[in-house]
Amino acid sequence: MTGSAPSRLRRILIGGALYLGALAVGIGSALWVLKKAAWLNPSVQVGAWRSNLQAGSVDADMYTRATVAVNAVLALGRSETMYFVATQDDAGHVLRSQCNYRITGVPPKARWWSITAYADDMFLFDAPNAHYSLNGDIAKLNSEGVFSFTTGPQEQSGIYWLPTPGKRGMLLTLRLYNPDAALQAAPQSLMPPKIQPVGDCA
Amino acid sequence: MSHWTNTRRLWFYRIATLLTTAVLAHVLTVWVVPRLIMQVLMNGPIAQKMNMRNQAAFPPPVNAQSRTVVMPSPDLLYSVCVFDLTDGPVRVRAAPKLPGYWSIALYSANSDNFFVRNDRQAQGAPIDLWLVPAGGAKGTTPVPQGAQVVVSPSGTGFLLMRVLASDYQADQVLLESSRRTLRCEPAKAA
Repeated sequence: MTGSAPSRLRRILIGGALYLGALAVGIGSALWVLKKAAWLNPSVQVGAWRSNLQAGSVDADMYTRATVAVNAVLALGRSETMYFVATQDDAGHVLRSQCNYRITGVPPKARWWSITAYADDMFLFDAPNAHYSLNGDIAKLNSEGVFSFTTGPQEQSGIYWLPTPGKRGMLLTLRLYNPDAALQAAPQSLMPPKIQPVGDCA
Repeated sequence: MSHWTNTRRLWFYRIATLLTTAVLAHVLTVWVVPRLIMQVLMNGPIAQKMNMRNQAAFPPPVNAQSRTVVMPSPDLLYSVCVFDLTDGPVRVRAAPKLPGYWSIALYSANSDNFFVRNDRQAQGAPIDLWLVPAGGAKGTTPVPQGAQVVVSPSGTGFLLMRVLASDYQADQVLLESSRRTLRCEPAKAA
């Protein structure tokens, strides 16, 4: 009934392996959700830009809190700052640092704004010109009130350039400091900056 | 028949136990991660090196080598402090004189942003906060006149001061002198 010693040992080993497997599945699935779900279930999506409106809020559920901690720890609540993240261009293609993109848009309705390029490790690119972002103070608007800049490995003549050296994934973050009350109330009213590839991309 | 039933029951319990283990591990991980990240932020080697427990610290401007916190903003100049209310209240003061945006944000040990005050809300007046833990402060130090009492949900937490620095090189003197007005001190010292 109790089985031989080798049989018991085998059962213990199999049981232990199964428990370790269950632990690995539980922890692994949690980490996968926190890394990948940050923008999988956005509260709002506007163009290529997605935002979790509970970021930084004390009302955030445990998944939002953990996701924000992993992907953007020390975020502020949306009355202070709204964050929109783009990991794809307007056509839905994943952003890649070896590709050139042109980003155009009208200044968002906020006291101050910026768009920053990050590598897929969530840190800044090692930009040789130390241009990491475009912000509302330095953005030049054309006669129609539109700003433009490019990202990519190569500078395009006559336009502000955020270098993204290397071959890896990347993302763009749009920060809106002290957004207008109307935008806070209806984030989908954001006029999303366009993200369009420039030229061929290997 | 009885043997077959016992085997089935045994496997039922085994599978149920494994599923429960996986679910608990998943939920526990999601719960722990923000607290763990905050612990590293508040007690990790960089925090130790910067000596920022109940004391303001002033990291250099953000660049590509800044790898302490994910997604740092290159347009902001950060100042930090880990507040520890174990031995009593902590007083936070700042009086930046800047034309642009600045804010002071407080985060609890689970990473929630429970308080923020920006330059517009301050309306030119200095910031003077008296941080106490949710359960009440240890000791009987009176609240200084004019200080705003802020209740922290946790006994320790993180203070992050943001100062807009679109052109750090040009505005360095003003930006540095303004952010260095930040004080984060235990009640006894303050």
